[in-house]
Amino acid sequence: MTEPLRTVLVAGGGITGWYAAAAIKRRAPFLDVTMLATRGAPDALADRIACTLPSIRGFHADLGIGEEDAVLRTGAACRLGTLFSGWADDLPDYAHVYDRYGQRFGATSFHLHWLRARRAGWADAFDSYAPAAALARAGRFVPPTPGTPFADHDYGLTLDLPRQERMVRAFADHVGVRILAGEIADVAIDDRGFVARLTLVGGGSLAADLVVDATGPAARLRGAIDQAVDDWSGWLPCDRLLIHAGAPIEPPVLTPVVAHAAGWRWSSGAQTGIAYAAAHADEAALAALMPDGDRIAIRPGMRRAPWRGNCVAIGDSATQVEPLEWCNLHLALSAIDRLVTMLPDAAMAPVEAADFNRQCVAEAERVRDFVALHYVAARRPEPMWRACAATPPPDSLAHTLTQFAERGRLPFYEEETFSRDEWAAVLIGQGVLPRRVDPLVEAVPADAAAAAMARHKADIAAAVQRTPTHAAWLAAQASRLSR
Amino acid sequence: MTTPGKAVRVVIVGGGTAGWMTAAAIARLLPHRASVHLVESEAIGIVGVGEATLPHIRFFNERLGIPEAEFMALTRATFKLGIEFRDWGRIGDSYIHPFGTFGSGKGAIDFHHYWSRLSRAGAPLPPLDDLSYACTLARQGRFAHPQADPGQLAGTFGYAYQFDAQLFAPYLRGLAERAGVVRTDGIVTAVDRDGDTGDIRAITLADGTRIEGDLFVDCSGFRSLLVGGAMEEPFEDWAHWLPADRAVAMPCRTETAVTPYTSAIAMPAGWRWRIPLQHRTGNGYVYASAFVGDAEARDALVAAVEGEPLAEPRLLRFRAGRRRRSWVGNCVAIGLASGFLEPLESTSIYLVQQAITALVELFPDGAPSPPDRDEFNRVIDLEYDRIRDFLILHYHATTRSDSPFWDYVRTMTIPDSLAEKLDLWRRRGRVVKYREGVFLDASWVAVYLGQGIVPEGWDPRADASDPVAVHRGIAALRQEIAADVAARPDHRGFLDRYCPMTDAA
Repeated sequence: MTEPLRTVLVAGGGITGWYAAAAIKRRAPFLDVTMLATRGAPDALADRIACTLPSIRGFHADLGIGEEDAVLRTGAACRLGTLFSGWADDLPDYAHVYDRYGQRFGATSFHLHWLRARRAGWADAFDSYAPAAALARAGRFVPPTPGTPFADHDYGLTLDLPRQERMVRAFADHVGVRILAGEIADVAIDDRGFVARLTLVGGGSLAADLVVDATGPAARLRGAIDQAVDDWSGWLPCDRLLIHAGAPIEPPVLTPVVAHAAGWRWSSGAQTGIAYAAAHADEAALAALMPDGDRIAIRPGMRRAPWRGNCVAIGDSATQVEPLEWCNLHLALSAIDRLVTMLPDAAMAPVEAADFNRQCVAEAERVRDFVALHYVAARRPEPMWRACAATPPPDSLAHTLTQFAERGRLPFYEEETFSRDEWAAVLIGQGVLPRRVDPLVEAVPADAAAAAMARHKADIAAAVQRTPTHAAWLAAQASRLSR
Repeated sequence: MTTPGKAVRVVIVGGGTAGWMTAAAIARLLPHRASVHLVESEAIGIVGVGEATLPHIRFFNERLGIPEAEFMALTRATFKLGIEFRDWGRIGDSYIHPFGTFGSGKGAIDFHHYWSRLSRAGAPLPPLDDLSYACTLARQGRFAHPQADPGQLAGTFGYAYQFDAQLFAPYLRGLAERAGVVRTDGIVTAVDRDGDTGDIRAITLADGTRIEGDLFVDCSGFRSLLVGGAMEEPFEDWAHWLPADRAVAMPCRTETAVTPYTSAIAMPAGWRWRIPLQHRTGNGYVYASAFVGDAEARDALVAAVEGEPLAEPRLLRFRAGRRRRSWVGNCVAIGLASGFLEPLESTSIYLVQQAITALVELFPDGAPSPPDRDEFNRVIDLEYDRIRDFLILHYHATTRSDSPFWDYVRTMTIPDSLAEKLDLWRRRGRVVKYREGVFLDASWVAVYLGQGIVPEGWDPRADASDPVAVHRGIAALRQEIAADVAARPDHRGFLDRYCPMTDAA
């Protein structure tokens, strides 16, 4: 029997750290888990971006946090996807929703049938065949409901971050995380390259078998071991954000993301923001649009070894990526999940860290590819956009683009965050169309396909009428709660 | 409307299992896109390996609209719930690699972590097979179709078939010819290649017939007539990891029980298969010629066969490995023409099927395009590499030191990819996870534990439960499985009612 893991120390100043501490203690209650709550890092996007992907709901469920606590009592709202406007000048906006696009008929994917129909000139917009897109465009919301067209979608949350953080903190406390407030003065690394000890400002020190770095881009712990980071700035041009916290208003169920001359902007209720490439933007003009906004620098990239020695970087200390497609907290939660299922023993064998890192890298690189796709496939005349279109994409994205451009094939990669339909939604939404129609669709005659597609759309349209608005749905849940 | 392209002229060389599976699939799935011409020679026998299959074959049959009971009756098939490995980790051992899970398949932590913990604590444990529904069903010689609900114990498994490949090819031929495939009997004597592109323009048969095509599919078996021969694609040799290079095969009458599983019995210089069909049992000894002579191997097989022999022992030669690329120019190798992995885990037909699926998905419209070709090769390489590691594991994870062959495989250098997998398992009971690939977690666990590698560590969360409660849970599970399995019908009886063999057409 090897020496078991006994103590875990999480350091961080935001929701990522609280989620890490709470999840580890909840799912491995025999560990002694300490949370060192530091001042928040303004540039830690996993802690700061209100929009999340659907994965947060499964994460809550695994912890035993119900929707009442995770959504209703914290003032969160549901989001079905993102509405992209202005990304391809000549094309209408498109919705990326967390749903199936179209109905499967025959053995081939729906998007291949849609592409044949598009070529023949009778297909409507790709997203008009996604039930959740119709729902979201109408400002309506229902959770997945078997027996209706709205059976297969998923939804993310728009968080009220301060309230959410208080909830997770209370949960961590409740499950037995030891909570300390303090600031890190110094990090001592031993000769094995392990984090030996944290010295705190004003005296005192902390040590643990395993340390989790949720301190944001500064990576106070993991960065003390080494600074090796892959640079993604060639593919992800936005290196600045302005984030503004306004008066609480109801967040849209379909988060609008609008491209501008040197980046994009979003509004998700109280939180609004502008992302831009400093080299191409008129910073003064953008700042004038958002005078109270926090200005944040992003250095897009990732550590290929988020876990080294006894230290695991989670969130922005591992990966920095602009918030387009809302992956920051998603990557953090996914890494926390992975860490819980791969808890090491006290020896911290490099082979175990390598397996963890392999999965993290695969996941983060495909997120990078998905975000980069929006730029490489964008069609806008301004210099930043032209530069993006001219930059050769990473190999794995190039492979996807080549395969899709040939016949609409979407190759499989390990640790994909987004489904094939979601890839197709962005590709098609930005006007990337294959050279030819996949011959396999011919197994279904064109007129039969047309009839099925029309029927599917009609079913969706009829069903949308019977759904509540997002506000009405939230209100109904709230009143159920108060009964 | 889509303008239907000109039909691609597909020429398939070779009419064994691979050739007729390919012909039937293309003709059925791409009726407007392809015209298929298959050339085979009655003078050349078919190898007919892979009588034992993996559960994936069911999806192939389903997609082609092949009814199960009819197919089983005609190919004299039996059900297969897994593979029994005898004498691998040590002489005297026996374990089943099931097409199913261990435990109830429900907990947050994989069952094997609890198993490792109790086992390392020296606790008395029932045989691992008793804790898998599929293994128990197999050991008891029973069969029933799995239930649709994977939450039920009787839904925690899949199944495949053991069938007569010599009868499967003609069955598919009938199906393919009804779908418009043209067949010519003849031997290929010349291949005409385009001087500029190197693509194949036509093949010529011994009688002078010239057959032109746009896409050539090489199903010529070990000869690899087109891809290995005409296109000269090099062969990547894996003999240093998989030294078996010959097999001697001899069917016998089925006299003993018709087991719903295949057996792979380790031998002094390789292993022996036993594949029970309804009417006969396939037997063969796969061996490394560097470690045993042909005569000695043949004698060992003859001595081991259980029933009355139905044919003289037949010798096969092969090399483990694959063509560097399976799709070169306008020519795609499928089956043995693309590579060979010994049938230890019944992967031959699976590899044929994956190649067909990829070819159908990447089917050209006229001249093959490089992106289609590269993607095909990427997908096939991945399959070969992962199966290779899994096969090597069987040989390497042994304590046997009773012959030079076992000394060699036990001590040989293994691929880094496998060394890392083994290390993770040994230390922590962790199985390297892939979302795709043929052998998923449960398969690796079955072989690791079956060959005696109990992890030194496990998921620390498995320590959280009270060992007495875990023991009680295991005992209850064992009983529940046993009770459910006891109510299922006998395999032979099930076959006799469901798909009694018919005389071959």
